[in-house]
Amino acid sequence: MPLAPVNDAVTITQLIDNPYPFYRQMRADSPVVSVRAVNRVMLTKAADTRAVKDDPETWSSDDPDTPMKRAFHAHTLMRKDGEEHLRERNAMMPTFSPRNLKTLWGPAYENLAGEYLDRLPKGEVVDLFPTLAGPLAARILADILGLSEASDDDMQFWSQALIDGAGNFGWFDEPFERVDRAHLAMDALMERKAEYYRANPDQTALSVMVNADDPIAWSQIVANIKIAIGGGINEPRDALLTVLYGLLTNPDQLDEIKRTGQWGSAFEEAIRWVAPIQVSSRRATRDTQIRGIDIPKGTVVMTCQASSNHDEDLFEDGHLFNAFRARNPHQSFGSGPHHCMGTHLARMMLGKIMLPMIFDRFPNMELVQPETVIWKGFGFRGPLNLPVRLN
Amino acid sequence: MPRLTFIASQGTSRTVDARIGDSAMQTALAHGIDGITAECGGAMACATCHVHVADEWADRVGPAEDTEADMLEFAASTVTAASRLSCQITMTEELDGLVLHLPDTQI
Repeated sequence: MPLAPVNDAVTITQLIDNPYPFYRQMRADSPVVSVRAVNRVMLTKAADTRAVKDDPETWSSDDPDTPMKRAFHAHTLMRKDGEEHLRERNAMMPTFSPRNLKTLWGPAYENLAGEYLDRLPKGEVVDLFPTLAGPLAARILADILGLSEASDDDMQFWSQALIDGAGNFGWFDEPFERVDRAHLAMDALMERKAEYYRANPDQTALSVMVNADDPIAWSQIVANIKIAIGGGINEPRDALLTVLYGLLTNPDQLDEIKRTGQWGSAFEEAIRWVAPIQVSSRRATRDTQIRGIDIPKGTVVMTCQASSNHDEDLFEDGHLFNAFRARNPHQSFGSGPHHCMGTHLARMMLGKIMLPMIFDRFPNMELVQPETVIWKGFGFRGPLNLPVRLN
Repeated sequence: MPRLTFIASQGTSRTVDARIGDSAMQTALAHGIDGITAECGGAMACATCHVHVADEWADRVGPAEDTEADMLEFAASTVTAASRLSCQITMTEELDGLVLHLPDTQI
């Protein structure tokens, strides 16, 4: 069997600006393709990305040659497999139990969402990225993790530093120095709070992990919290901005959803349309094949769920926002053992609480100059601004 | 090989062979049954393989245990006493002929 064909035409800049035309072409021409710009074999079809994630024995999450370990000062659960991964994941699971979501985090988010919406100025143009989507995602996460003393700005700075460090494939100094500063602050706060929670246990992630009967190592507790900080702000932030953009640029759909209350469907469609986490990576633990292409042991593949979510085999006009799709089997939360832990939290916060609330408060919200909205990102993707007028 | 029947919410039914030891969810995915999403692949971290066990099979399959029942609260369709996550139903010879009803949506 042949090896994956090589594409050395597409550039990283093109992928960051808009990867969708490239994905469409690859799905049609060479769905398993070795892409020079990212030094990975990309998988662009839904059946393939799903099959890889559902088979962790063939496809390890441990991708050894990434800057992530350096950036996180740890080998984290995101890059572990099997029992080791499960033990660290389960340590944090109780915080995200259905009961806690319903009785603690749902009501907490509802209060916070109300407060943040109250602060927004009416009648003038306001950018919802820095005034709502970013800080609110940071606030609820800080409270759920047990770091309520951290400010919205602290959380967003730490999160971005971790993301930039983990994505620093050029191995430049600045991103690592910035994340090192973030670690100093995060570590100090966590040590202080751990002591507090030993005496005052609650359902926050830090408390649950510290007070477990058979706790995981402190280094892993700290790493878990940092993974949540690195991965728990930009996704709900970008998902909110994306769904608002989708609804505000499709007023017919918005009107119909106001009538039917299908806010959950709008949320699912938004994260299908532009997945906040666009790609993941897995390493082949043995020689294998995909679609007749040889994948030698040790090959690192990139599962492009952004592409899978537009796959013509599953979605008609996948490039269009359509909240009324009969079926929406998107892969934005991943699948398999690493399936997103925040899935239910995200569905509740955005689909059940925020969307009905924001359109109830501002029924005539309008997007100002939609053409000025800038979308960016290859690994993570979302709008960088969302100028609206609230009334 | 035990046989397993899935009945979709619109009434169409499909009967497939199950491997002993596989879950009902894995059986559904192996045969491309629409209506089982199984986002988490059996880690009991989602509720997208929700099924209703047919009345006559309820005793043999048994009820959901606690963690599973908690997770079922996230199911997108109506949860009843017959609700189970199909990733937690292991196929055995005794379950030959099992009938599972699929909800109208998993998300």
